[in-house]
Amino acid sequence: MDNATEPQSRLSKNWPVHVALILICAMAIVPFLWMLSTSLKTADTAMEFPPRMIPNPIVPGNYLTVINNPKANFLLWARNTLIVAALSVAGTTISSAIVAYGFSKIRFRGRGFLFGLMLSTMMIPFPVTMVSLFVIFRWLGDHTGMMWLGTFKPLWVPAWFGSAFNIFLLRQFFTTIPDELSEAARMDGCSEVGIFLRVILPLARPALVVVALFAFMGTWNDYLGPLIYLQRPEQFTLGLGLQNFQSQHGGTPWNQLMAASVLVVLPVLLLFFLAQRTFIEGIATTGMKG
Amino acid sequence: MKSIKAFLIAILVIPALGLILFGPRSEFQLPDNRIVVVDYWEKWTGDEAMQMQQIVDEFNNTVGKEKNIYVRYVSASSITQKTLVATAAGVPPDIAGLWDRDMVQFASLDALEPMDEMAAAHGITSATYKPVYWKACTYEGKLYGLISTPADVALHYNKRAIRESAPALRAAGFDPDRLPETIDELDAWATILTKKDSNGRIQQAGYLPIEPGWYLAYTPLWFGGQIWDAKNEKFTLTDPKVVQAYQWIQSYSHRLGKEAMTGFKSGLGNFDSPQNAFLAGTVVMEQQGPWMANYIYNLKPGLSTVKWPREVEMTKPLAERRENYEWGAAAFPSAVPGLKDVTYAGFDILLIPRGAKYKKEAFEFIAYINRQDVMEKLCKLHCKNSPLANVSDDFLNNHPNPYINVFERLANSPNAHGVPQIPIFAEVMQELDTLTQSITQLRADPETGLAAAQVRLQAKYDQYMKRQRLRRATQR
Amino acid sequence: MMRTEQRNLLKGLAFISPWLIGFAVFTALPLGLSLYYSFCDYSLLQPPVYIGTANYQELWRDPDFWKTLGNTFYYASLALPLGMIMALGAAMLLNVKTRGTSIYRTIVFLPSLVPAVASAMVWLWLLNAKLGLINAFLIWVGVDNPPSWLEDVRWAMPALVLMSLWGVGNTVVIYLAGLQDVPRELYEAADLDGAGTMQKMMNVTLPVLSPVIFFNLIIAIIGTLQVFVGPSIMTGASGNPEKSTYFYTMHLYNHAFQFLHMGYASAMAWVQLLIVLVLTGVAFWTSKRWVHYQGK
Repeated sequence: MDNATEPQSRLSKNWPVHVALILICAMAIVPFLWMLSTSLKTADTAMEFPPRMIPNPIVPGNYLTVINNPKANFLLWARNTLIVAALSVAGTTISSAIVAYGFSKIRFRGRGFLFGLMLSTMMIPFPVTMVSLFVIFRWLGDHTGMMWLGTFKPLWVPAWFGSAFNIFLLRQFFTTIPDELSEAARMDGCSEVGIFLRVILPLARPALVVVALFAFMGTWNDYLGPLIYLQRPEQFTLGLGLQNFQSQHGGTPWNQLMAASVLVVLPVLLLFFLAQRTFIEGIATTGMKG
Repeated sequence: MKSIKAFLIAILVIPALGLILFGPRSEFQLPDNRIVVVDYWEKWTGDEAMQMQQIVDEFNNTVGKEKNIYVRYVSASSITQKTLVATAAGVPPDIAGLWDRDMVQFASLDALEPMDEMAAAHGITSATYKPVYWKACTYEGKLYGLISTPADVALHYNKRAIRESAPALRAAGFDPDRLPETIDELDAWATILTKKDSNGRIQQAGYLPIEPGWYLAYTPLWFGGQIWDAKNEKFTLTDPKVVQAYQWIQSYSHRLGKEAMTGFKSGLGNFDSPQNAFLAGTVVMEQQGPWMANYIYNLKPGLSTVKWPREVEMTKPLAERRENYEWGAAAFPSAVPGLKDVTYAGFDILLIPRGAKYKKEAFEFIAYINRQDVMEKLCKLHCKNSPLANVSDDFLNNHPNPYINVFERLANSPNAHGVPQIPIFAEVMQELDTLTQSITQLRADPETGLAAAQVRLQAKYDQYMKRQRLRRATQR
Repeated sequence: MMRTEQRNLLKGLAFISPWLIGFAVFTALPLGLSLYYSFCDYSLLQPPVYIGTANYQELWRDPDFWKTLGNTFYYASLALPLGMIMALGAAMLLNVKTRGTSIYRTIVFLPSLVPAVASAMVWLWLLNAKLGLINAFLIWVGVDNPPSWLEDVRWAMPALVLMSLWGVGNTVVIYLAGLQDVPRELYEAADLDGAGTMQKMMNVTLPVLSPVIFFNLIIAIIGTLQVFVGPSIMTGASGNPEKSTYFYTMHLYNHAFQFLHMGYASAMAWVQLLIVLVLTGVAFWTSKRWVHYQGK
């Protein structure tokens, strides 16, 4: 891609680099292969030592066993995760874009201070607010006439109030959009909301995709949040469900556990291959994952 | 490239949308037109959970139908913590099926509803239960829970392995048919029954304290000691009997080597699998509860029903039925002469968390479980003994565990002890677990380790009680 | 003119209002509350009781507080530098213009996509002392007594560090981006001075990259102090064996949601926040000496 203009070096000259890279890649990829391989073994062949990398016989049935396991409910957990993810992704993307517009395109007193304040909140470790958030959600449950704790709300409602990291990311992008564009629209009598919706948002599509992806990954990977806010197994998200599946009395057979893990990892990998460039560029330009 | 992308999008988005739109729902449809739904969370998973489901279904179809109550049963692991957090969140279940040790912690946090009055109204009194169990269900003079199924701990042994080593046992002056009754005898048997390969790796261990290692904290009981003096609210970890117990645990690391201990254990595989050390025959004797019979029966028929299928076996008298098994159970040996039938009598308990919506209805179900016929049915399914004072002949004779009378005798023994009633028991267990790990790894000396644990735990307890008094004082 | 300024202020505040509200409700308020709770005895089931600095005093005397703090720093002292070296090394290799870089880059990045719970499962299995692939490999290359990893006090922490190294792909990508920003002229100038590869790295690459390294350092410090998911799934709630993998956040979590010691947990949380602030402060302060911002 980026080295297409370079004349390709001959393989022989760079062989030490290749050897090193192949080694590194082997280390990166082997755990995936091992997971996949175990997930296709029988309970007995999974316990073989030394282990075989290629299962014999190959048992794809583990996946069905896992999905149909009465102790687990992977489809329900996947649905729960998707619902939380959809609400969080929508919330984060929409609210972060609005706030980022305010921080980048409108000059007002105190903007610099507030922006700095926002950036500094990224340093606050989650455990610091974890206990009080629990208390706040309980209070909301007592005073808003609807349940909060024990529902998905604590997991997605905060997403609708912008996330510092994503606001930062979008602001960086918005500032690269020349002010002349919005000025021109303003001349045409366009309102601030109109400029945001019709000028900035269409141009910011790639950045919005990055934010949405990060938000999705954030929800898909979240463990501590659901662990604290969700108690009923029928509300579990995939991460929580996977852990629950593993920790059951006496432990779960490795082949099934690995099959379950593959099911949790696969969608993320597919998503990555789909939006590979967006992903890498997003991380490279912002230097962080969601 | 474009088409690959479209394909990827399709295989991601279509199932996702499908799941959201048509996937399984967590919403719950109330059957017929019952009014009260009692939420019941249970820690069991696997077979035990399913067997309880059977009992719940029966309740829903009989008593529940009459009284317009529907019990909605959910089982999940790590439910203790989830129950506590849900109670703190103000959204608790109506019934929580937890461990015996959780009750006191919950009660002292004001997280439970006492059930004395409801129990009395259903005719459930101290006379209903075997004393050791009733005692453990009451705390500070209040009844906080009733038992779903009990258990007690006994020595389980592999007859085949003992038979193979019978000559060696005889040579050492033991009768292979009379199991060890003292700890010294157990140690001697263990040495004889331990087999190593040419590299010195252990192939078969006669006894291994860490397998399964679930009751190590109760080991002092078999030495005539206790870790907790309830009257004076003091830990007694430096009591010579407790020290002796931990020294005994450590003696196996000296004998078998600490490397062998971890290396060996990690090779044993899961409890609920044929790789279980006792089932695989790599450990000849171990401490287990009565449910072990179920696991052996389900996982390793080679140790169960060796002569007849179960239907045939059940037609025979109890003594004869035991020939059908290559394993047996007996009271675990004690270190004190004359101290017999020592056991830790644990149980699974049904609690009503504070703030539960339907207390009375919840208790209807708990009382149902505690009916003799229902309790015996459930305990048979789980292969456990009964917590009730009255036990039917049918229970003793037709129990799937051929050694049920051993477990019944142990539960009735004056030397049966329940879980110590310490509000910070979870921390005690954590501390003792860590201690056991370090002494079995020969990283700590039992005496100094216990002394240090004593100081830490006592300080924690005193601190806890100081706060508890403060809390109680501020509550008008 | 005053009017525009005011209008802009209102407009600006209107646009950032979602964040303002969120900040107030989900950040500022919880921060304040947890500060208050840290001076209280609070179990959630009973109203909070003010007890002064008792929680902090207890914390000071709590051996597990020191133990978990020590463990966390021990982990950080291994995982931070190793992760940084690994990531930087991989990034430099990937920066060499050669065939197949994009495939290599993708593969190196993949592990950092894996959700923490799933990677805990996979590593639990990889590190299994008797049946795991890692020990199978070690035996194959001739190690007689491979470590029991998560079951051995000495090896459990290194095992977790090993697992963390698997997920450095993220950092690699960031470094790679930084490396691609290094002006070509600088290398050419170095070449003219007859500098070797090593010298070029020390005198050109690292200085130019230092802001990125610095940024990653801060992120890593904050992240490391919050390690929770991996060990709590792999080695149990109290970091077996013998609490050797008992991390600060696990201890905090246990006090909060296992024992309902919310006041105590809040005190721990504030100490954690202070540590993060101090460490980032130190990083910023020392950065003047080693971080070189290009005069853009």
